Amino acid sequence: MASLRKDKADPPFGRVLVANRGEIAVRIIRACRELGIETVAVYSDADAAATHVLFADRAERIGEAAPAASYLNIEAIIAAARRTGAEAIHPGYGFVSENPDFARAVEAADLVFVGPPPATLEALGNKLAARRAAVGAGVPVVPGLTVSLDGDPDDPRLLEELVEVGFPAMLKAAAGGGGRGMRRVDGPGDLPAAVASARREAASAFGDGTIYVERLVSPACHVEVQLLGDRHGALVALGERDCSVQRRHQKLVEESPSPAVTPAIREALFDSARRVARTVDFHNAATVEFLLDADGRHYFLEMNTRLQVEHGVTELVTGLDLVAWQLRIAAGQPLPPEVTDAVPRGHAIEVRLYAEDPWSDFRPVAGNVTTWHLPDGPGVRIDTALHAHATLPLEYDPLLAKLLVLADDRPAAIARLGRALDETVIGGVQTDLGFLRWLVDEPGFAAGDYDTSLIADRWGDGPPLGADEAALVAAAAAAARALGEASPPRAPSPATARTGDSAWARLARREATER
Amino acid sequence: MSDLELRVGDEVVRPADGVRLDWIDAAAGLARLHDGVRSRLVAVEGSGTAWTVTIAGRRVAVTVRSWREQMLAAAERETATLGGPIDVKATLPGLVVAVAVVQGDDVIEGQGLLTIEAMKMQNEVRAPRAGRVSRVAIGPGMVVATGALLIRLDD
Repeated sequence: MASLRKDKADPPFGRVLVANRGEIAVRIIRACRELGIETVAVYSDADAAATHVLFADRAERIGEAAPAASYLNIEAIIAAARRTGAEAIHPGYGFVSENPDFARAVEAADLVFVGPPPATLEALGNKLAARRAAVGAGVPVVPGLTVSLDGDPDDPRLLEELVEVGFPAMLKAAAGGGGRGMRRVDGPGDLPAAVASARREAASAFGDGTIYVERLVSPACHVEVQLLGDRHGALVALGERDCSVQRRHQKLVEESPSPAVTPAIREALFDSARRVARTVDFHNAATVEFLLDADGRHYFLEMNTRLQVEHGVTELVTGLDLVAWQLRIAAGQPLPPEVTDAVPRGHAIEVRLYAEDPWSDFRPVAGNVTTWHLPDGPGVRIDTALHAHATLPLEYDPLLAKLLVLADDRPAAIARLGRALDETVIGGVQTDLGFLRWLVDEPGFAAGDYDTSLIADRWGDGPPLGADEAALVAAAAAAARALGEASPPRAPSPATARTGDSAWARLARREATER
Repeated sequence: MSDLELRVGDEVVRPADGVRLDWIDAAAGLARLHDGVRSRLVAVEGSGTAWTVTIAGRRVAVTVRSWREQMLAAAERETATLGGPIDVKATLPGLVVAVAVVQGDDVIEGQGLLTIEAMKMQNEVRAPRAGRVSRVAIGPGMVVATGALLIRLDD
């Protein structure tokens, strides 16, 4: 591509510090390397030998394992950038990525923040303020209040207003994200307790207990629009992503295009997304999130002023490297027609692999990854920073890997995803892979007929183990034991056991003759 | 065809016939499982009686017990359910090779009490529940018959 040849000769920056860890730090370092940019990683004591540290050209320690001491430590990150001569800082997602104080500190140090301006982070970081801005821009928002519930939850006026909103209602944290501080309220009686507990959770998670309320939209799809804007006024919507497969209000699966979005809905979503972005001084990358109800009406939820976890889905269908464009935009380059006129092609699906037990309410699990075998082959992309025998650090996000597929259309993408998941083997800890494998064969998902209630309504506690599967795993375990006792497990020659003969039966036969 | 007992959870399961397991990387627990029709990649971890098979993303614990291990497990289950003094008896004929406790010792459930060699294998006899050792009826070098009293535990 012409632009990449230009980058190699004249990179947007000479050296960039990546203020993050894990798979997203690796992802950003990869883009930098392709652009000819030197990279600086930062790490906490828990990450001294982490993959992102080994990937980068240089690495700087920024503090102890606790995020507050390291990946949220603004002073330490800026100091690391100064020591290493980095010109710009890419914050990734999470941690300091949407923190206006961080963006300001970066600019005050004469460095470039790879993201929207600090004032934009400030204006949109508060979900309630963003909601008001959307109303002002004529963008539909979820029915509800545009004021906070900071008053006494027993206040009769508040209750009156809430009854007007209607039940069931959703309480949300103004400083929120990641599903924390969210509560469903089914009637006025539940309100005081729900407000109190949502407020507590929000205060502890974000240091801000401000709560607001929206009516529950159900059934609904969660659809978001990827925006890219340059410093010269160009603003482009690069297609939508459907993120309706969620547990705990957190995404597990993302796809583009959305099976729930028609061309007319898409046009309306793009228009609303651009309108919200134009209420602020916007450039770089952002995502505008909406709910889509059963009648195809959309409602603004929030605008995330950073790279999204699921950005790879958009990269696959557009062929654009969003991280590279973030860096070029930050360096002041205008978006060329290849970006502003990009037409998505094919169908992409991402699944997130987490260490959690889908048969136990998707409860996170700790442990060591022993077996770690990832898929490969046509149309498969893996973003991960994990390797076999890794201990999962408890301090950070439990995301193990993102598996993405691209194919010509949705049925082909689902078939490819099933094939890729069959090649994925993770041992040592339970993961959500079992749920994802089930999802691929779920008739509603295959038909594109699903919404945010899919996990609660169709997965529930997960299917019990079938008799055939039990017989198969029993045979596998017996065969493994027989192999183990027949020869050392690290024997160089290939070991094989078959139920009904050979090594696995020898164990039983030996016992029978000795008895 | 065999006397191996396979349990998935608490259920005794008859293993599928004609299943073949090939290690791809035994050290990493990665294997190919073929059921006669379909080939799958699985993770298999474990040793002795305790195994975990990960199939289609689901971790399933499987207990694999030989005939002798079944006898030991049954005896442990039986004694663990009783209250009052417990007589720990030999479930196999064999030679006592080591005794790990003396009279008056407090033991916890699962603690090793003594080792009996039988069928050229050493079997550790464990406390079926917590208690105090009130009698040690055997010593190293003694040959015991099935059902012989080994150790008595009081509450």
